[in-house]
Amino acid sequence: MATSAGTEAGGGGRSSAAGAAAPALVAAREVSRFYRLGAAVVPAVRDVSLEVRRGEFVALQGPSGSGKTTLLNLLGLLDRPDQGEIAVAGQDANSLSEDARSDLRRDRFGFVFQTFNLLAVLSAEENVAYPMALAGVAAEERSRRARELLDAVGLQGKYGVRPDLLSGGQRQRVAIARALANRPELVFADEPTANLDSHTADGILDLMREVSESGGVAFLFATHDPRVVARARRVVLLHDGRVESDVAR
Amino acid sequence: MNAFALAWRNLLRQRRRTILMGAVVALGFAAFALAGGFIAQSFAGLKEGTIQSVGQLQVVDRRAVSGTEEKTLEFGLHDGARARAIVARDPAVEAVIPRIDFVGLGTNGARSVPFLGVGVDPEPEAKATLAGDLIVSGRYLSGDGGDGVVLGTGMASALAVKPGDSITLMATTPDATLNAVDATVVGLVDVRIKELNDRYVAIGERLAGRLLQSDGTVSKLVVFLKPDADENRVAQRLEQSLTAAGYPIAVRHWKDLAVFYGQVKLLYIGIFGFVGAVLIVIVILSAAIVMTMAVTERTREIGTLRALGTRPSGIQRMFLTEGVAIALIGCVAGAVLALIIRSALNASGIILPPPPGATHGMPINVEFYPLAYAAGILAMVLTMLVASYFPARRASRISIVEALTHV
Repeated sequence: MATSAGTEAGGGGRSSAAGAAAPALVAAREVSRFYRLGAAVVPAVRDVSLEVRRGEFVALQGPSGSGKTTLLNLLGLLDRPDQGEIAVAGQDANSLSEDARSDLRRDRFGFVFQTFNLLAVLSAEENVAYPMALAGVAAEERSRRARELLDAVGLQGKYGVRPDLLSGGQRQRVAIARALANRPELVFADEPTANLDSHTADGILDLMREVSESGGVAFLFATHDPRVVARARRVVLLHDGRVESDVAR
Repeated sequence: MNAFALAWRNLLRQRRRTILMGAVVALGFAAFALAGGFIAQSFAGLKEGTIQSVGQLQVVDRRAVSGTEEKTLEFGLHDGARARAIVARDPAVEAVIPRIDFVGLGTNGARSVPFLGVGVDPEPEAKATLAGDLIVSGRYLSGDGGDGVVLGTGMASALAVKPGDSITLMATTPDATLNAVDATVVGLVDVRIKELNDRYVAIGERLAGRLLQSDGTVSKLVVFLKPDADENRVAQRLEQSLTAAGYPIAVRHWKDLAVFYGQVKLLYIGIFGFVGAVLIVIVILSAAIVMTMAVTERTREIGTLRALGTRPSGIQRMFLTEGVAIALIGCVAGAVLALIIRSALNASGIILPPPPGATHGMPINVEFYPLAYAAGILAMVLTMLVASYFPARRASRISIVEALTHV
């Protein structure tokens, strides 16, 4: 696994171990992202190189403002870097059009957000079915798979319920089901447990880990939560926008 | 879930705003449909009235198209009866009536008043035109007209005569001598245009021939066509057959003759076009504000949709669909509103003031004019598309990261 400058023990070793022939699901190469705050230009991410491969369960850890979410957004093609390259399955994503990037997100990635971000006007089933509709899956197949996914995340019988009638944990389960709808290779999860109580958070994380292990789906978390870090098989520590360590466990 | 179903749910979520915007569209649509119906009715009435007055086609001597007569019947059609028979043979012709135009003086012995005279074939004239319906006192000419004369009310008033009284009509003949005939007033007519009422004289074709000493010559032939007849083709046929028969004629269409019709139509189009444009601008501005608010409120949702793989065009389409959905809802409500207002207006008996130069107002009558409703739907859908376009475009261009962190 290639790592950024300043990466410590573990990251380098893992990099060589993971140096398989298949390209990384997503890779950042010397990526930087700056934000303007008034007249000042603040670096959120600086010269970061990072790869995520199939089936990995990776936690991006670091204090607030360390660049976790920014890096997650860059790797998830939600944002474009000011410098450096983001590659998806070996293909440079910077040069792609917005439509092509949208298609890549739809087909290869899943997203789980801190605030769930379910569509309020859609039922649980419709929320899960939405990415499939974007991918052109037939209505019947969408419904069947959406129910299957909801069953898998423990929401049997909640198919027609709108998000506002679900608990926080249930909403996050719907969001996970939605993230898995198009059989992604990689799910990005930004503080997925931040709005959940500890018991629910444990359940959600166990579910994600199970999905990762059984389906070979990679997960990349941006998190403060020690429970996430405890379950991660690789922890990337960010500090001031740089990778401080990248440790496989 | 298709785009319309999603749009419908979003509209239901923002119910108050949807109702407000739908109401604006409904009012706009109702105004459009009602004004359209009123204009269409006015145009149809004006056209019908014009055709009843001047016919659909007029056969005249070619010189009459651009020249001005210096002598009575200088550009007349000689042997008008033969030309009339040729015209009447065309299968598309419903009726053909002769007109002899002349000017002169009418006198009751004590007072003389200038007039604009027309010689007619009374019974076909009454049948094909409104002449008989406009009588306010006495009757219209009958038979060949005999020595009867119908006067405009203003003319009768100026001469202080009533049906049954006698007057003398004086006019110059084609060879420029002055001639006079006595006539008996049989009826008074209100031709609804004041200036014409003060000068109007109608007599039978035979009496006109005697007065003008021009038996058989007519100024024009007024042609009425059967329904669905092709005006241009008939004109072409008449021109060919009459030219072949030795008449140097031209065939004129009612639109060329009714300058007033064209002017009124342009005036109406101008007025209602301006009001319509103002209406559309109001709807566009209102809708643009509402759609901009919707985009702002749903910024985070836009970010989510984009993150999930919705293309920018998909976001744009979503808001445009909502705009179209509001337009369609508003049009349905507007159609109901328009029908209610129409019934109320038609039942109200409100009399519209007379148009310039006319003597009578008309009761308000708003027709159900399907084309106006169809045009209203089209106008409102286009208006909402225009109004939604810029907010929708803005929505499609929002940075995903900024949208996801929008509060």
